[in-house]
Amino acid sequence: MLIQQVFNGLALGMGYALIAVGYSLVFGILRLVNFSHGAIYAFGAEMAMLTISLKFGVLPGILAAMILTGVLGIVIDKVALEPLRKKKSPQIASLITTIGISNIITNLLIVFIGSEKRNFQPIFSQTTVTIGNISISMTQIMMCIVSLLLMSVLMIIVFKTKIGLAMRACEQNPKAANMMGINVNFVISFTFFLAGISATIAGALVSGYYQIVYPNMGFMAGLKAFAAAVLGGIGSLPGALLGGLIVGVSESMAATFLGSTYRDSLAFIILIMVLIIRPHGLFGRKGITKV
Amino acid sequence: MRKSNIAILLAASITVGMLAGCAGHAPESGSGSGSSGGETIKIAVAAPMTGDNSEYGIGFYNAALLKAEEWNQKGGVLGKQIEIVQYDDKNTSEEATTVAQKIVSEKDIVGVIGHFASGVCMTAAPIYQENKIIEISPSSSHPDYSSIGNFIFRNNTIISKEGAASIDIAINDLGKKNIGIISIMTDWGTNTSSIIKDLISKTDAKVVAHEEVMEGSDDYTPAITKLNEAGADVVICCGMYNLVAPVAKQYKQINPDIKIVGFSNSYSQQLIELGGDAVNGVCFPVIFFSESDNEDVKAYVKSFTEKYGNAPSALTSQAYDSVGILLTAIEEAGTTDSEAVREKIAAMDYKGVTGDTKFDEKGDVDKSFIKVTIKDGKFVKLD
Repeated sequence: MLIQQVFNGLALGMGYALIAVGYSLVFGILRLVNFSHGAIYAFGAEMAMLTISLKFGVLPGILAAMILTGVLGIVIDKVALEPLRKKKSPQIASLITTIGISNIITNLLIVFIGSEKRNFQPIFSQTTVTIGNISISMTQIMMCIVSLLLMSVLMIIVFKTKIGLAMRACEQNPKAANMMGINVNFVISFTFFLAGISATIAGALVSGYYQIVYPNMGFMAGLKAFAAAVLGGIGSLPGALLGGLIVGVSESMAATFLGSTYRDSLAFIILIMVLIIRPHGLFGRKGITKV
Repeated sequence: MRKSNIAILLAASITVGMLAGCAGHAPESGSGSGSSGGETIKIAVAAPMTGDNSEYGIGFYNAALLKAEEWNQKGGVLGKQIEIVQYDDKNTSEEATTVAQKIVSEKDIVGVIGHFASGVCMTAAPIYQENKIIEISPSSSHPDYSSIGNFIFRNNTIISKEGAASIDIAINDLGKKNIGIISIMTDWGTNTSSIIKDLISKTDAKVVAHEEVMEGSDDYTPAITKLNEAGADVVICCGMYNLVAPVAKQYKQINPDIKIVGFSNSYSQQLIELGGDAVNGVCFPVIFFSESDNEDVKAYVKSFTEKYGNAPSALTSQAYDSVGILLTAIEEAGTTDSEAVREKIAAMDYKGVTGDTKFDEKGDVDKSFIKVTIKDGKFVKLD
C-alpha cells in the first residue's frame, strides 16, 4: 500500500510541479509572485475541455487551448502588469493586481461556463498496469512522462536558446539587458506565454486524471503549487519539479496515515519547516529578495 | 480562504442577479410580482441556486413553480394566486442564516420549502421556529432536524431508514459482505456513516474500512487505495453525486469489479453526466422514481419533462409534494395563519407523487423505498 500511495502522490505531485513551473518562470524574471496563475491553470483546463469537445481530436484541442491560454497570459501582462511597470509602481501593487486578475478570470469562467463540476474526457487509455500488488494506471504513468518531457523542454528553452539567454539576462538585470538591445517587455510577455502553456498542460493532465473540471479548481491547486515552488526554491525549474513531488507525495501520505483532514495542511507544514532550515528553498539561490 | 470566499461571493452575486432576471420571466409570477400588499400568497424556496449543488436547488424551485402553476390554474388558494419566491443559500450555513432572516423579515411569506443540506437546514430552522414560519425540507435527513421545533417538517425519511435500505442493497441485492464506507466530512456525512456502521454491526456483514474525505476535493485515490487494500467488495458512499461520480471513476481504475451503493441524494442526472461509464452499476434507494407505473407519477413526470426538458429527480419531486402539502394545509385551514396551517400539516395524510405522506409527532415521515441502479447510462429499477 505504501508504494501504491507513493505512486498516487507522484502523479499528483507532477501536476503541482507543472503549475509550480509557471510561478517560477514569472518570478524568475519579474521577482513577482503571479497569484493569477491558479486561475490561468483553471482557464487552461476549461479551454481544453471546450476545444476537445469540438471534435478535432484530443491533441489539436489541447494545442489550441495552450495557445489560447498563452495569449491570456500575454494579455494579462500587457493590460494589467506592464502599465504598472512603466509607472514604476511598488511590487505590492503588481501583487495585488495578480490576485484581482485571478478573481476576474475565475468569475468570468463561472459566468460564461457555469460553476458546476463537469466531466473531462480521459486523455489516455484507461488501462492499468499491475506489478505485484501495485496497480498503476496508464494515466499516472503518462502524467509523469509528459511532465518530465515538458520540464526538459522548458530547461532547453531557458538554458540553450537565444530567447532563454535573453530571459536569463532580464532576470539578472532588466536595465542592463535593455541597454544590450534586448526587448525586455517582449521577453516578459514570452515568459507569461510559456507559463500559460505549462498551466494548460497541467490543467489538461490533472483534469484528465480526475476527469473533472470546474472554474474554482485553480484555487487550492494554485496555492499548493506556490508552496511547491517556494519549497523547491522559487525561480528554479528543477526546484519546482522537486517541490511539486514533495508536496504531492506528502499529501498522499498524510491522507493515508493521518486521514484526509490533514492532507491540505501537511504540505504547508513541510514548507515552513524547510524554509526555517533553508530560507531560499531547496534549489534557491541566495541574494534573492522575496516579495 | 479569504480569496475563495470573495471569489464565490462575487460569482454568486453575479449569478444570483442573472437568476433573478430569469425568475422575473417565469409565467407563474403573473399578477402579483413585486406587490407586497397581500394579493398573492408567497412561498419561499430556499436552496442552493448557484454552485456545486445548484442542480438540487434549481430542481426544488422548478418543482415548486410547477405545483404553484397547477394550483393557480384552478384559481389559486383562498382565492389568491400563489407566488414562489426564490432564495439562494449557496448551501452554506452562513448564507442560510441571512436568507432565513430575510424571509422572516418579509412578513407575507407563509412557508419555506428548503433548505437542502441537513447542516444548512439545521442552522436556519431555529430562526423559522422562533418566528413561527413553517419550514418543510424536501431533503434533510439528519435525525435531529425535525426535533428543532413543531414548525419544522421534512418530506424525506430520516437517514437511519434510508441507510437500512442502502445496506439492504449492499448485502442482499448485491450479495456482498465486506463493506467499505467513504463519507464526506460534513455534519450529515459523519452522522450518516456512524449510523450505517451501527446498522451493519447488527448484520452478518462487516465494515472493513471507513474513510472520511473532504467534500469537493478531487483526489480520492488515497482513501480508495486504503479501502481496496482492506478488501472491500462493496463501497457505501455517504455523499452526493459529486462524491459518488469521482469515487466510482477513481475506484474502477484500480478495481473494475467494485460495487458502489449511494443514497437518494445521488439520484440526479448530473451523476450520469459527471460519472460517464464508471457509474454504471451504482445502486441507491429512492422514495420517488420517475419511471414508475403509477398514473399520477406518470402525469407529473410528463408535465415536468415538457416544461423543463428533463425528468424530475427524487428530491425535486419531494419538493413538489412539499409545496402541495403546504398549499393543501392553507386551503384546509382557510387562512394563512401559521399556527392553524401548522396544525393542518401535522394532521394531514397527503397522497402525492412520492407516496403517502403522514407526519409523526416530530415532523418526520415514513416512506417505502424503490431500489434504483444505473444501466447503460440510464436509471433503471434494480431487479
